Amino acid sequence: MKHVLLSAAAAATITTGAFAQEITLGRFFGACEDAGTDTTVSTGEACIIQSIINAADAELDGISINTLPTDWGNYYDQIKAAYAGGTPPDVHVMHRHRIPEFAGLGALAEISGDLEAAGIDPNDWSPAALDAVSFNGGIYGVPMDFHANLWHVNMDVMEEAGLVENGQPVLPSSPEELLAHAQQVKDATGKDYLAADFAQFPIGVRLVLALMWQQNANIFTEDGTATINTEAGKNAVTAITQLFDASLANPQLNYADSQQAFLNGEAAILVNGTWVVDFYTAEAAKEEVGLDNYYVADFPTLFETGATWADSHMWAIPSTLEGDKKMAALKVLAFINDHNIDWARTGHMAVRTSVVESEAYTSLPHRDEYTGTAAIAKDTPPSERYGAIQDVLNRELQAIWLTGKPVEDALSDAELEVQDLLDR
Amino acid sequence: MQDLKASKKRMSQTQAAWLLLAPFLLTYGLFLVYPFFRGFWISLHDWNLLAVAFNPDAKEFIGLRNYERVMWGRNIEWGFASPFWQGLGVLGLAASAYLRRVDRLSRFNAIALGVASLLLVVLPGFHPGEEGRWYDRRFWPTVGNTLLFVALAVPGVTISALFLAAALNGETRAMGVLRTLFFLSQVLSVTVVTLIWQIMFSPRQGLIANITETFGGIPINWLTDEQFAMAAIVIATIWWSLGIAMILFLAGLQDISKDIYEAAALDNAKGVKAFWFVTLPNLQRTITLVVVLQIILHFQVFGQSHLMTQGGPNDTTQVLVRYIYQTGFRDSELGRASAMAVFLFVIMGTFSVIQFIIGREKE
Amino acid sequence: MTRSYYWLILGLSIPAFLWLLPTLWMVSLSFQPNEVLARTTSSTFFGLVPLPFTAENYSALFAFGQTPWWFLNSLIVSVGMTLGVLAVSTTAGYALARLDFPFKTPLTIICLIGLMVPEQAVFIPLYTMFADFGWHNSYHALILPRMAVPIGVFLMLQFFRAIPKDIEEAARLDGVGWLQIFWYIMLPLARPAMMTLAILTFLYAWNDYLWPLVSAQQREYFTITLGLASIQSNFAQSEGLGRVMASGVIASLPVVILFLIFQRYVVQAMTAGGSKG
Repeated sequence: MKHVLLSAAAAATITTGAFAQEITLGRFFGACEDAGTDTTVSTGEACIIQSIINAADAELDGISINTLPTDWGNYYDQIKAAYAGGTPPDVHVMHRHRIPEFAGLGALAEISGDLEAAGIDPNDWSPAALDAVSFNGGIYGVPMDFHANLWHVNMDVMEEAGLVENGQPVLPSSPEELLAHAQQVKDATGKDYLAADFAQFPIGVRLVLALMWQQNANIFTEDGTATINTEAGKNAVTAITQLFDASLANPQLNYADSQQAFLNGEAAILVNGTWVVDFYTAEAAKEEVGLDNYYVADFPTLFETGATWADSHMWAIPSTLEGDKKMAALKVLAFINDHNIDWARTGHMAVRTSVVESEAYTSLPHRDEYTGTAAIAKDTPPSERYGAIQDVLNRELQAIWLTGKPVEDALSDAELEVQDLLDR
Repeated sequence: MQDLKASKKRMSQTQAAWLLLAPFLLTYGLFLVYPFFRGFWISLHDWNLLAVAFNPDAKEFIGLRNYERVMWGRNIEWGFASPFWQGLGVLGLAASAYLRRVDRLSRFNAIALGVASLLLVVLPGFHPGEEGRWYDRRFWPTVGNTLLFVALAVPGVTISALFLAAALNGETRAMGVLRTLFFLSQVLSVTVVTLIWQIMFSPRQGLIANITETFGGIPINWLTDEQFAMAAIVIATIWWSLGIAMILFLAGLQDISKDIYEAAALDNAKGVKAFWFVTLPNLQRTITLVVVLQIILHFQVFGQSHLMTQGGPNDTTQVLVRYIYQTGFRDSELGRASAMAVFLFVIMGTFSVIQFIIGREKE
Repeated sequence: MTRSYYWLILGLSIPAFLWLLPTLWMVSLSFQPNEVLARTTSSTFFGLVPLPFTAENYSALFAFGQTPWWFLNSLIVSVGMTLGVLAVSTTAGYALARLDFPFKTPLTIICLIGLMVPEQAVFIPLYTMFADFGWHNSYHALILPRMAVPIGVFLMLQFFRAIPKDIEEAARLDGVGWLQIFWYIMLPLARPAMMTLAILTFLYAWNDYLWPLVSAQQREYFTITLGLASIQSNFAQSEGLGRVMASGVIASLPVVILFLIFQRYVVQAMTAGGSKG
């Protein structure tokens, strides 16, 4: 029996091997080595995307996919090093905000003319999705999602603090109310109101950005002037630091720790992205996990206008790719595009209108709880120095909440540095 | 022996020497000397990693501007801006002059200590004046963090390795086992070390936190509290790199002949006294070697900072090599990064020269 | 054995145990189910005892994991680098220490002055150079740069200098050529020093992170340091702590075993080198 299987496998390799295009694929999202090829069952970004890739590898004739492992922290450094070294992956994921940097230098292929042949219908993409992958009038990738910051809510804690009405959490509508709610939770339960990764990855930055946008302000203008040390900037930061000052939130948690605190039921709210909705749903269903009654809410409006930080994941191919290899790479993009609904299971918002309107999409767990997010999604103006700017903000904000640097000093330092970056 | 004789004088001493030197000289020239000068050349350019890769002409010669942008600023003044370090420098100057006068210090050492102290007086004195600022506000703090890391890790490793080596310098089985235990972590790779300690230090999942909580304490956020983050990566580093220092010390201890100890024992020097008056003086060359190796090793720290704390919180564990890496590969500014690399070289070179002089003296 | 000896051993056992603790903990975590670890890492005796027990992390690792592959790459690179460094260092060290030829002193200085150049100071030009050659993502790209570092030459030079002249002179009187002296007399004598250098180089190669990070982007050339770095930064989101720890154990186990077998020889070699020198 074994022999039969082996020779069948060998035959399969030989028949496809003659034409097989090996496509290298670069991605972040984390490792999931036993994802399988069923795209409809796994949980979490890593396993869902890997199951889609595995399925593409299995189902696409004459294409085999080699996934490059890369960790989050070094992803763009490595991609850049690969491009500069002349060995970029044939297909790779990226954020929309990186397009100016990569496409601006001619690294990415412009694919508007190739979409149809590959079986991708750009008319099905929502206008915002098309906008996400467009640059200087061209299309530089296939969008996969919108992701945004949400408020993940532990309803039991909120209930205990009297912050639930009609089965929905009562969320603050001003910085003062934020403080009041936080105090209410602390008094009623002894728990922190809000947890988030303030200490490591830039979730804290995205929180502050959202609060600035809510005041119709931004960290820099389209024409390249940094505007951080402003009234809006101060309001945004102090809305958060007031929680730390009153010991109603812990600024020293990193990503893993803040998530753990929330899952253990130690915080009423966790500020994190759309990417964890399915994971938290699964965790909340488990007997032994502290979080039982999980709810997802749009980022509340604390100032004038609704806004939350958002970005897009998209897939791109290098401009150096040609011929059959390029076609194979495009087919992989098409396959991922076809499985938009599977990816949306993570909690991300889909990019294809046909998917967004489908029953399968609207009936995803908690999906109806954050339908307002798409309308308030926002990001900074495009810049080649997005990464460095984010890093400046991350450092200065950490300086405020971890080391007590005066808000004004930190914001003026951040403004100077961001201006330097914009001027370079 | 017959065939050895037969081949005699086929090759002159000079030819043999060049032949034997050739492989090293080739790799040395190609992969160290040439890149070194090329690095300097890159540092004189505005050189974008991606842009130059796609278009070799996209670089622009800008002279020493990168150095200015990295190390200098607007309205930089000099004064007693850093009383602690500059005070220490003045003390060092006075000490070297005094010790030289009473002849407790050789001329070389006095000069070395003097130069180091002078630098300590001069360098921290630069600061931005009214309306002024550093062009790169992160560079000098990053250099400071790196020096702090070295200043904590090198003595930590050297002293603990020295005492362990002295205590475990025996032939018994128990000592062998203990030596093995202490050396074991040395063979782990940097990513395993950081993996272990990242979890060890976690305030929610960490072993340290678990134990602290059991005894009613409040866990420390080691990696995200600016007071502890540097300590955390130093602890992980000492745990990791103690072994090789200990082995080198053990080898050094084997060199000290038993006669010296016997003679010392006659003079009533045993135990701690023997360690202080016999072991230490005789180990000076090994100590120098270990310290040189450790400084060179730890000045180039990268993985611990990159993987455990990502340079944070608030840049308190940002170190020079990580800054170079980020500037080059995240911000694509190879020219700037190269200027910093040249700076790294200058510092390391200075350390090497000082250490070399001290080491030679002792011989 | 005196009483103070036993006190010493006892006194040192405690720090030695503490020293071992992090490693033990890693091993113990790797044998616990991920669902449990997601809630608590201190199930039984601070998590130091793997209860509840599972070997699933390991079976999954071998069924799907890339860890064995990364491990193999590290081994190839480390062994290659060690052999390379030994070859260029012994030859150059011998020539500079024992032979007489024109420009010997300036050449020695030139060779050793490279000690001052930290490799982290040249990784950017090396990167651009290797990119120009199209050498990235290969074993030789990972191995070659280290062979240029003169620490090995320095160590061998020191060792060869310490060997008494008369050994060589006797051979010369017998008419033995320089290369033969090097090969048949000096190299055997240098075994302890070479062992030291080999260990230093191997450990260095095994632990190297920055250069592979910029040079190897393709899975085929990932070393274990890179591979582990790629899975540890987001364990919170993906496969779970137990699996990551199991990778760490697998990555470490063979080196630890090698070292345990080897260690006696390491110390003996160093001792022998010391007493003869």
